[in-house]
Amino acid sequence: MNTFGEPLLQRYLVVGAVLFAVGLTGFLTRRNLIIMFLSTELMLQGVVVNLVAFGRYHHNLAGQAFALFLLVVAAAEAAVALGLVVLLYRRRGSIDAEAWRELKG
Amino acid sequence: MFGLMTAAIDNILLAPALAQASAGEYLPAAAVVALCAVAAFGTVLLLPGPREGALRKIGGGVLLAAGGVLAGLIGRGDAADPAGFYFWFFAAVATIGAVRVVSHTIPVYSALYFLLTTLAGAGLMVLLWAEFLAAALVLIYAGAILVTYVFVIMLAARAQQEHDTHSREPMLASAACFAILGVLLVVILQKGSAPAATGDIAPAASPDATRTLATELFTDHIVAVELAGVLLAMAMAGAVVIGRRGAPPLAPLAPATREIIGDDNPHNIPVYGIDTARRRQA
Repeated sequence: MNTFGEPLLQRYLVVGAVLFAVGLTGFLTRRNLIIMFLSTELMLQGVVVNLVAFGRYHHNLAGQAFALFLLVVAAAEAAVALGLVVLLYRRRGSIDAEAWRELKG
Repeated sequence: MFGLMTAAIDNILLAPALAQASAGEYLPAAAVVALCAVAAFGTVLLLPGPREGALRKIGGGVLLAAGGVLAGLIGRGDAADPAGFYFWFFAAVATIGAVRVVSHTIPVYSALYFLLTTLAGAGLMVLLWAEFLAAALVLIYAGAILVTYVFVIMLAARAQQEHDTHSREPMLASAACFAILGVLLVVILQKGSAPAATGDIAPAASPDATRTLATELFTDHIVAVELAGVLLAMAMAGAVVIGRRGAPPLAPLAPATREIIGDDNPHNIPVYGIDTARRRQA
């Protein structure tokens, strides 16, 4: 398959959008802090699919380069977020997001 | 079987609507909105909550059906099936894995389903001729980030607790997220007017795709590469500082040193760490 036309691009974009929406649902719904951060990673996964599909559609490698930097940011975010989760667990003994209710506006 | 399903959907359900929709979009917006509403209903049933297992399975089935109908509608025009079998396979695995990530009550299973989604995503990367990115996804996401997540889950989570089996605001969240998905799908599934550029990145079987990507990274995006390295170092240092248990208490100064230096903390700068005060008391 040598031509990446619009219908094919749209299929990949739909996959990216679905991954993003499912990750957003998980982030807003779950109470476990670790699963919330995992849903964030899922959203980033959808964005990676989106970027690489557009890169292929426009016939340059900027999409893949951007996706690589996105991977770097995801790794950095995972490291800091998990450090925060461990610290919060030490404070309250629970990784429930409801344990920090008083932070709500 | 796939052809039968798409033919059934075409002829029975949506023939009049599809005839109207072929002008400006691949799929009528009403169909997308209806599918999103059905999927939102299925998701509300599927998300963890104080309801019995049968209802959750029904919700999962509804979501699966909505996804299948969407896939059938999107793929109905594939006479020669330009996407190929592998695209549908990887897309299905990624979507089902993603739904199981957010709906499973046991955190370790969520991490494992996320691993499955990442591997399916790597497959999609290979289909998009981004082989290096596929390998990077497997190595970095599946190999490093997910292993870290599993470590922290083992460290900080106990057996099934209330915060795993209950969701907060499943209805509002599903409504909002599927509204967003509906808008995205309606916009994505419209026919564009700009033709794609001719030519392609690299032949599919070229061994130089990684070299081309590396050349582009290190010539066009060199500043971003350096900044990415700095960001990773900062994140590592930050994670170490955040997770630290506190510095051990300072040893008392020898009297001779104290005569020379005086007080080694004249401004009473607190030593960082939450356990230091406890240690001083002990």
